[in-house]
Amino acid sequence: MKLTTKTIIYYLLISLPLLLIAGLFSYYLICSELKDGTDEALFKEKINCEKQIQLFNQPKTIYLSLDSLLSIKPIAFTKNNYFYIDTLIYDKLEGEQLNYRVLKSFYTTKNQSYLITLSKPTLEDDELMEGLYSAFALIIVFLLIAFFVVNWFIAKTLWKPFYTTLQQLNNYDLKDNALTNFKNASTKEFQQLNVALNKMTEKIYLDYAQQKQFTENASHEMQTPLAIIKIALDNLFQSPNLKEEELLILQNIETATNKLSQLNKALLLLTKIENNQFNTSQKINLNTLIASLINDYQLIYEAKNVSLSLLLNQEITIQLNPILAELLIGNLINNAYKHNMVNGTIEIKLENNSFIISNSGNELSFNKNDLFKRFKKDDTSKDSLGLGLAIVKSITDNYNYTISYTDTNSQHIFTLKFN
Amino acid sequence: MKILLIEDEPDLRKAIKLFLHNEGYTIESADDYVKAFEKINNYNYDCILVDVTLPKGNGLDIVKQLKANNSKAGIIIISAKNSLDDKIEGLDIGADDYLPKPFHLSELNARIKSLIRRRNFDGNKNIVLNEISINPENRSVSVNNEEVILTSKEYDLLLYFISNKNRVLSKANIAEHLVGDHADQIDNHDFIYTHLKNLRKKLIEKGCADYVQTIYGIGYNFKIS
Repeated sequence: MKLTTKTIIYYLLISLPLLLIAGLFSYYLICSELKDGTDEALFKEKINCEKQIQLFNQPKTIYLSLDSLLSIKPIAFTKNNYFYIDTLIYDKLEGEQLNYRVLKSFYTTKNQSYLITLSKPTLEDDELMEGLYSAFALIIVFLLIAFFVVNWFIAKTLWKPFYTTLQQLNNYDLKDNALTNFKNASTKEFQQLNVALNKMTEKIYLDYAQQKQFTENASHEMQTPLAIIKIALDNLFQSPNLKEEELLILQNIETATNKLSQLNKALLLLTKIENNQFNTSQKINLNTLIASLINDYQLIYEAKNVSLSLLLNQEITIQLNPILAELLIGNLINNAYKHNMVNGTIEIKLENNSFIISNSGNELSFNKNDLFKRFKKDDTSKDSLGLGLAIVKSITDNYNYTISYTDTNSQHIFTLKFN
Repeated sequence: MKILLIEDEPDLRKAIKLFLHNEGYTIESADDYVKAFEKINNYNYDCILVDVTLPKGNGLDIVKQLKANNSKAGIIIISAKNSLDDKIEGLDIGADDYLPKPFHLSELNARIKSLIRRRNFDGNKNIVLNEISINPENRSVSVNNEEVILTSKEYDLLLYFISNKNRVLSKANIAEHLVGDHADQIDNHDFIYTHLKNLRKKLIEKGCADYVQTIYGIGYNFKIS
């Protein structure tokens, strides 16, 4: 929910009960004021009546109006007080019961008592309520309009620096290798926010840069000892007096060293891809690339005698770093050969902006959702690093391609879709 | 043949120096930028091996200085960075080759030999070894003056063996040389066996002696006494 909508809801939640209380209060206030007014008017008339009675020569009854609403009547007993009552009187004109305020006063003069009845119609409750309702409804409507206008204005002006900052944060990408400068705002809180954000992003950026540097340096530092081991092994191999078991040990060391070196390079590669350090790109014709890669891999996997069919129905050109393009397609082709069986098949298709490669092979020994995870490999391929498909996934994620895997009839199908 | 090795890592420097010395080269070394800079300005070398990351400077600046001096030396950059940018920049400013660490000494050896061959246009272009003669310019091979038709990989294999004759080469080493950039993706080196078998067969058919010696568990040795 938007900040302005929320503010309005809160305003309404607070103002509605307040308005209700104000309404009730007004109602009682108006009622009592009206009553006081009526009573006062009746009392004044009572005084007038009493003055009139004093002028009477003899006791008589006077109807000041057609009905007995206003009357002066002589009475037999002596009494000297007055009181007000509220009563309902049927009004023929309006055809309904009306509220009346009645003043009954006993007045004694010249040893004769009179009953003075005076009445005045008062404002009806429902009419009063109706009036109040419409007044308050109008107030609420005006308040709502005012809330909206004020909020819109506040959002436009007061919150503007906040929304600018928000936009900047949304657009911020650590991988862009640049510091974002959150501009100064005139509001103190936003100024503080921007200063804090500037500080935070700078810290994150520096940490990130340091981390990146570390990975690169670590890999760099590892290459030199690996180079020394490799060279030392090369030299050891030349020794003429090595026994068979010593040669086997040396071979184990060499295999492990090579694996370590490959692992180091692959992890560095993954870091570099994730850090977007392959900035340069060029137009790559996939048809040409596939042809050249197949040449290389056929040589490597010659012994498997895999039959290959190429269905390159579309000429596809992508914009990508040449090393990444080679890794992307090369790893998929290598994968299809590596996990194939002797006399197996590979089919490569280029169609619908997709590179589709399928190969024969044993069923996966693990959940296929884990296929693109790092170090996930088949139990049978001990020598594999388990990073080839992770590198493919990393490239597709970074360049908005999609890679998907399905298996049908012991065929493993990878579909790489370009946009 | 005089080579300058610019490398700051002492163990690596020693091992490379020893190896190249045994290969019959005159080898000098420098362990930082300043010393290297002094040497290239005062002496002439046939080949210079330069590391990119050096104390007190950058190896690429050495390459630039050599070019500014109009040096005729062949330049091979050896770098642990293995980054494309370094490779492109290095080759752009005039280096002849780029070798990422870790490398096999035999690979370095083959690259130096190939570089020196390319530099020395005068004189005998062919590599001759007993009955085998190789013309690197058109990649042709003949045994007893009779041409042997080899596939590209068989030719590479033979040239690598000859560049590193009388050395034990492990299967991984040979495989890396043959597949080059894809070496990091392969985990099985058995494929070299097929190529080696075919190469041997073709050479023997033309009356060539079988120089390839199998070293149990390790690899092969192209042995010429």
